[in-house]
Amino acid sequence: MTVAVYLPLLLALPLALGARRIAARGTPGPAAWTLVTIAAVAALASTWSLTMLALTALDDLPPLAALDNHPTLELPEPVPGPVALIAGLLLVAGGVRLVIDARRRITTNRRLREVGDPDQELVIADWTTPMAVAVPGTAHTPGRLLVTTGILQLLSAPEREVVLAHERAHLAHRHHRLTATVAAAAAMNPLLIPVRRAVEFLVERWADEDAAADVGDRGLAATTVARAALASSGAGSGTVLGIDGGAAVQRVRALSQPTPAPMLRRLAAPILLGAAIVALAGAATEAFVDLAHAWL
Amino acid sequence: MTTKDSRRPPGGLEAAVMAVLWAADAPMTAAEVQQDLGGDLAYNTVQTILFRLHDKKAVERHRAGRRHAYWPAKDASAVAASQMQAALMDRPDRVAVLQLFAASLDDDDAALLRGLLADTGQRRGS
Repeated sequence: MTVAVYLPLLLALPLALGARRIAARGTPGPAAWTLVTIAAVAALASTWSLTMLALTALDDLPPLAALDNHPTLELPEPVPGPVALIAGLLLVAGGVRLVIDARRRITTNRRLREVGDPDQELVIADWTTPMAVAVPGTAHTPGRLLVTTGILQLLSAPEREVVLAHERAHLAHRHHRLTATVAAAAAMNPLLIPVRRAVEFLVERWADEDAAADVGDRGLAATTVARAALASSGAGSGTVLGIDGGAAVQRVRALSQPTPAPMLRRLAAPILLGAAIVALAGAATEAFVDLAHAWL
Repeated sequence: MTTKDSRRPPGGLEAAVMAVLWAADAPMTAAEVQQDLGGDLAYNTVQTILFRLHDKKAVERHRAGRRHAYWPAKDASAVAASQMQAALMDRPDRVAVLQLFAASLDDDDAALLRGLLADTGQRRGS
């Protein structure tokens, strides 16, 4: 096998290193789409590389060895046995993480869809913890907003409009699909975890920008995010764990500045990287097919 | 219809009215709801929404002089709260998959945010 089979495993790294910088500036929507797409390509390519490496272990199995047409042929750059074994283990671990993450997402959304009257676009839960959540719909049901009385009582009427517009933006742009896709990519290839975080941040920024445009007041959107974040942190962290708090500061800063320029040129590097990954995966596949021919 | 109304999805007005009623600590008349919504809705529109919400048993009302005062029906929201808590509280890992409006902060971030809020407040005030 050539070096091309190993490279897709590592090319997630430059994407992971650049993701934060890409997320920090410019219009969030195109950046989110680009990062999710390239992360998916990188995860598929690295999974395929691991699969090919693991499959080379089959060469040692007696039934396949018996099929070997060219027993005297020296295999071109054969993959060492331990490498194939490690590749197989990494594949299994990735698959397990993928299943765990997907199940958690499906269960959480299903249980939240069951909350309250299914005909209401907005479900209000009488709960002092300030929370607002967008619950994605299914093929048959529209998405819904779930807010607590805690956040309604915390904010003024215009600020409540910001929160509702923000959550509606999540539903309208189907942000849950982007976050689920990039989470699946990061499950298969943990080098992509920083990309997952960047996308989670970008969809919040995207919804913030939509909400600010909706209410026509960036300053109002900024104070709403700041006040909601401060209240959430004071309310016992048991309910709002798991997400990087620094993101709130960055969101407020971005909203305190004018609407960002598109800055689409910052997306050229990840797109080129995606093309390189596809080319390498193609080259590795070709080498793998040659190898398989040599065996059989 | 102003553009501000038309961007709301169907049911969005009901949602906004419910939010106003929940945010208040006392029953409100249609006029008070209209005022709290920022005055971009006609009085009759607000009243129609309140009637509809009352039909759906989402709000309760009593007569206050010549008008009705409305407050949110607590039962549905109490049920919703217990369902939501059951879905999330015992499993913090589930919260991590949600698109929450705001996440928890550490102390430094909270201080930064208070600073940013004070800045914006000054700018908006001046």
